Amino acid sequence: MNSQMKREKHWQDWEVHRAITPKSIAIAFVLFILLSISAHNTEIDKAAVETSKAVLSVVGIGESQVLDGAVRFGTKAFPIQISERTPVNRLNDFDRNDLPLFAYIEMGEERDYDALTNTWTTEKMEFLVEPLGYLQKVLVKMWETIEMGFWGTVISIMISLPLGILASRNYAPYRSVYTVARGWLSLHRAMPELIVALFLVLMFGFGPIAGVLALAIHTSGVLGKFFADEIENAPPGPQQALGSSGAGALKVLRYAVFPHVYPAWIAYVQYIFERNIRTATVLGIVGAGGIGMELKGRWDLFDYDHVATILLIIFLTVVVLEYFSQKLRNHAL
Amino acid sequence: MLKFESVSRVYDDGTKAVDNVSLHIRPGEFCVLLGPSGAGKSTLMNMVNGVVEPSEGSVTLGGLLLNKKNLSTIQRRIGMIHQQLHLVPRLSVLHNVLAGKLPEVGFWRSLIKSFPLRDQKRACQLLDEVGLEEKHLHRRASAMSGGQQQRVAIARAFISSPEVVLADEPVASLDPAMSRSVLNSLKTSAKTHGATVICTLHQLDYALEFADRIIALRQGEIFFDGKPSELDESIQTQLYNLEKPQVNIEELVAA
Repeated sequence: MNSQMKREKHWQDWEVHRAITPKSIAIAFVLFILLSISAHNTEIDKAAVETSKAVLSVVGIGESQVLDGAVRFGTKAFPIQISERTPVNRLNDFDRNDLPLFAYIEMGEERDYDALTNTWTTEKMEFLVEPLGYLQKVLVKMWETIEMGFWGTVISIMISLPLGILASRNYAPYRSVYTVARGWLSLHRAMPELIVALFLVLMFGFGPIAGVLALAIHTSGVLGKFFADEIENAPPGPQQALGSSGAGALKVLRYAVFPHVYPAWIAYVQYIFERNIRTATVLGIVGAGGIGMELKGRWDLFDYDHVATILLIIFLTVVVLEYFSQKLRNHAL
Repeated sequence: MLKFESVSRVYDDGTKAVDNVSLHIRPGEFCVLLGPSGAGKSTLMNMVNGVVEPSEGSVTLGGLLLNKKNLSTIQRRIGMIHQQLHLVPRLSVLHNVLAGKLPEVGFWRSLIKSFPLRDQKRACQLLDEVGLEEKHLHRRASAMSGGQQQRVAIARAFISSPEVVLADEPVASLDPAMSRSVLNSLKTSAKTHGATVICTLHQLDYALEFADRIIALRQGEIFFDGKPSELDESIQTQLYNLEKPQVNIEELVAA
């Protein structure tokens, strides 16, 4: 009876959802202002202007600094340089009668700058030309880069596997261990490869060691977190079943957790491996080995035709790797 | 054999799941715990393998008091069969069964799944007993049907030669025909290996059919304890708190 007396609101008076309110308009306005300021700070407005100028300039209206830059690179980059050209007099063990395969000798000029007199001199000299010499050199460097990515990933797994187990809430022996392991992993994640590589080059000298370790340190932070999260999200039932039969935590991990998380882990490791190879191509810029060292050297000498070869090889490698990676993934899962 | 001495369990939110229960279960008995949901069946059972600690009272298995020190020894003498199966889906049937033997295998051997041949053969024997074949041996557990998975779980429970097997609603997710045959496997295995079984069920007819002894719980207390033949209809209605329907269903259907 009481419920009948306290009559509910008529349905026409019910409060319904309204998408646009004065409040939502105000929020949108403030967001717009903030985003505009941020975009100006990051020169997005300038980018828009320059890009439109470049597009207009392609059609033939006005001039564009962006297009000029691209043309300057493009004209020097093509045709790409795949041969190696060395002055004969700089070769120590040069034997005119025993040239390398496909190599030949060519007469050419070399311009030389004399800083004292501020003049350019031209010198005629012989060059040894190996038609595929530079391509070969780049491929060797690229292989070194892939190896760097591989070992970076291997060491990264060796660091992140134990840390990942300690950083999962249900397998850390103590709460403090969990906190420390999580913190440690975040620290590893927070150190970008390029900056770690700078320090490691100081410590280990130029070469791939610095690059491999830099990759391992950064990506172990990423992998460890993935591993730990997967362990935490594994279904608890089978773990409880094995645990209550008296099996130790590590055995439960091996039999009830690992079979479950294994496919996800493989996917993560594969992604990290691919990413490590891409990153390893850049690490050489700070002297940490791989193809990046060659890239940086040629870039500073304005040898854009050589740079184009390197970029082409990097591009092809990444595409081929992703193709095989995809095939492997379909096979494994 | 298995003794509960005035055990109680109060959960943190104040619900009294088990209230002053004393029980003595004799070796080789097939005991069925009956009762409506929330009667404390699972809690009572989980006290035996240490998942739930009694707030009061004590549990002893073969004269050994269940405490932190004895827990792993007692756990090795117990086999568990769970309601949601709790097999590892991506592991093969063989390894799921062998997982029950894990406490006795060295860590490094277990890491590369190198189980002693004797254990592997025993797993095969147990799987044969519950009616599985060699072709199932290397299949993933997830590729098996519900009834087959429950058989694998039974084989896993028996591989460690347990004195007591705890089965928590082993047939809750199976159809009646399958339930009957799984319970049959369970009972046969228990008799063959001389194990005591404590099995929670909520289907009264299965309890009457398979149990040596029925223990009915209601609101955490023992309501009935005896042979299936002693469980008459008045106890059944009281147990599930069934009030006599005020309108007869048959009359309703007829009308």
